[in-house]
Amino acid sequence: MSDNHLDYSVLSALQDVMEDEYPTLLDVFLHDSETRIVRLRQILGGPVFDLQELCMMAHSFKGSSSNMGALQLAALCHQLEERSRRQDVTGLGDLLLSIDHEYSAVRRLFDAERQLFRSPLIAHP
Amino acid sequence: MQPSSEHLCILIADDSASDRYLLSTIVSRQGHEVLCAANGAEAVAAFEKHRPHLILMDALMPVMDGFDAARRIKQLAGEALVPIIFLTSLTEGEALARCLDAGGDDFIAKPYNHVVLTAKIKAMNRLRLLQETVLQQRDLISRHHEYLLNEQRVAKEVFDQVAHSGCLNASNIRYLQSPYALFNGDLLLATYTPAGHMHMLLGDFTGHGLPAAVGAMPLAEVFYGMTAKGFGLAETLREMNAKLKRILPVDMFCCATLLCVNFKQRQVEVWNGGLPDGYLLSAATGERTALVSRHLPLGVLDSSSFDDKTEVYPFACNDRIFLLSDGVVDTSNRQEELFGVQRLHEVFAANREPHLLIGEIQQALTEFGGQARDDVSMVEILAVEAPDPGTQGVIYSDSGTSTPLDWSATFEFRGSTIRRFNPLPYLLQLLLEVHGLRPQSGALYSVLTELYSNALEHGVLGLDSSLKNDAVGFARYYQLRAERLANLCDGFIRVHVQVVPVGEGGLLTLQVEDSGPGFNVDTILALPPVVDELYGRGLALVRELSEQATWSADGRTACVEFAWG
Amino acid sequence: MSVTSELSPDGQQLTIFVSGRFDFASHQDFRAAYEGLGSEQRYVVDLRGTHYLDSSALGMLLLLRDHAGGERARIRLVNCTADVITILTISNFSKLFQIG
Repeated sequence: MSDNHLDYSVLSALQDVMEDEYPTLLDVFLHDSETRIVRLRQILGGPVFDLQELCMMAHSFKGSSSNMGALQLAALCHQLEERSRRQDVTGLGDLLLSIDHEYSAVRRLFDAERQLFRSPLIAHP
Repeated sequence: MQPSSEHLCILIADDSASDRYLLSTIVSRQGHEVLCAANGAEAVAAFEKHRPHLILMDALMPVMDGFDAARRIKQLAGEALVPIIFLTSLTEGEALARCLDAGGDDFIAKPYNHVVLTAKIKAMNRLRLLQETVLQQRDLISRHHEYLLNEQRVAKEVFDQVAHSGCLNASNIRYLQSPYALFNGDLLLATYTPAGHMHMLLGDFTGHGLPAAVGAMPLAEVFYGMTAKGFGLAETLREMNAKLKRILPVDMFCCATLLCVNFKQRQVEVWNGGLPDGYLLSAATGERTALVSRHLPLGVLDSSSFDDKTEVYPFACNDRIFLLSDGVVDTSNRQEELFGVQRLHEVFAANREPHLLIGEIQQALTEFGGQARDDVSMVEILAVEAPDPGTQGVIYSDSGTSTPLDWSATFEFRGSTIRRFNPLPYLLQLLLEVHGLRPQSGALYSVLTELYSNALEHGVLGLDSSLKNDAVGFARYYQLRAERLANLCDGFIRVHVQVVPVGEGGLLTLQVEDSGPGFNVDTILALPPVVDELYGRGLALVRELSEQATWSADGRTACVEFAWG
Repeated sequence: MSVTSELSPDGQQLTIFVSGRFDFASHQDFRAAYEGLGSEQRYVVDLRGTHYLDSSALGMLLLLRDHAGGERARIRLVNCTADVITILTISNFSKLFQIG
């Protein structure tokens, strides 16, 4: 399951590059993505979709998720980007929901990843 | 403020926080200083403030996108190269073309491959440094060029003083010369001798620019200096050759044509070493005589091998001489053909009005070459009765406080001395120590020269001046003169000088005696003046210029007087 | 423009071949051709491929003559085209070099 959501070879390369700042990178991504998701939900809930903003957000989210190995998420964002650009609004709401769900899955996996790098619990004497 | 190629200041512009963080970590791990911007406007502001060396720019950002930001930054950067690497997940070819259009130098795709990114940063930095070097060198070259131009300007001012144009503005001379002739090694000098003859030099130094021009200065000094003192062509040539031989490097020399025009006696003396033919056009017959180069250029041979032999031609009233530098014959057209001697002769042949000839030659050159060359020198001398008045000067070596007023001296020049030595300039300098005589220096010199030359040619060498009544005879006369002079062993010329004070002024008595057979004074004095001047003894001239002129009964001693005060 | 040279088997004569334009650009090559030798040798400059000689080429010939012993130098200029002969004639270089 996790193979679809996260490409661990990408994460491995990120670890090599970031070294001990790897956990911080994960945090930044997660925080950044929360903001995006909130914004996406806002747009979802609104009466009219601002397609331009949607397109740009999708593009940006696509970029950062692909950098982090969240390939499925990136692919969904790519679809959103394309459709917004073509002004094809049919089923856009469903697509946005899919993105939301995919992101939740990814976040759980990142949280697990994050755990590996927390400092060990201090043993009680 | 030059960072090594290992430590740059790099601006990262991306609207995604995690991407920014990822990139800045990669970049700073490579040892660079990192600046961050979240959109295009922040990127431009950061660039203006910090002037990073290289920019990683996300293409699509809010507020101002990467394309706009790139354009502005490129404008701000001016001539310097600030590489911009676009970061993009755009895949369409058109989108990538947009990156380059906006001034991007390269792009890198998301997801980032940090190996590729590192390599691209390195490559872009090399280009940046290359551009920097090019601009620095360009500025250096430009500065040096300015210095050079200034040096040349200053040099030209000095040269113009030394290698000035002398009497080239006389009414019977027309010439064409580029203002930068000197910097092509082309020299045109002209001045009058104390006796009213004209010396002219057309010269062409090897090479171009300052090295060529530098040789012209000492040459001009010798030319003007010696001519003013009354030295003849041969002596001046020897001195100029020796000077150039001494100071110029082995591979530098000066091709030159020298003329001495004697307007009164209607003849011209010519020496051509290395220049193309000059031309003498006879007004009466229309015949054209080539003044051919018979000698090596100046500065090649040492003094013992140098040949100062000149050729003498008749130069009657309205005859013309043309001298041309090799720029004329070497003028080429767009097909790289040369104007050549053939075409020049065609211009001569086609000419109907001699006074238009110099213009016609110029015209033909311009039509052929399409544009004026800067190394063409041409000069035309028209034979007139007498040179411009008031253009004669003599060099004075003292301040005028001491002047000998009561003295006499006798000089005797014998066979072997007469052969190679011309005493006239020295005698003249001596006489000019007498201040009262200075206003008459021209007349004095003319008379001295006339008497000495008569004593030499007719007295000692035994030449018959009636030989000079046609062109062939003319050449024969001078040939004989050279032969007999070269073989001279016996004979003498005595010059006796006496100066006595008379009232406020004084009286100079000059006597010239030769060892020749003498002549019948009365007969010669009875000749019509025209005949006498052309190939006579110029006796009428002598009488005209001096207070009193008498000859001994046997004709071997001439005696003239000059008075002043 | 090219300058090549050939030393005779007995080492007594150097032939320098010049073709193309003989001008200032040939300076270094021309000098390099004879630099190693001295005034004991005879020199031949073969100008068969040369149609153009300017004053710096004449200067180079003077340098060669100087190197080869000045007055005592033995230098021949051979295979001269008509244009080259004209230039050598005007400059009277036949008084310094044997022209063939």
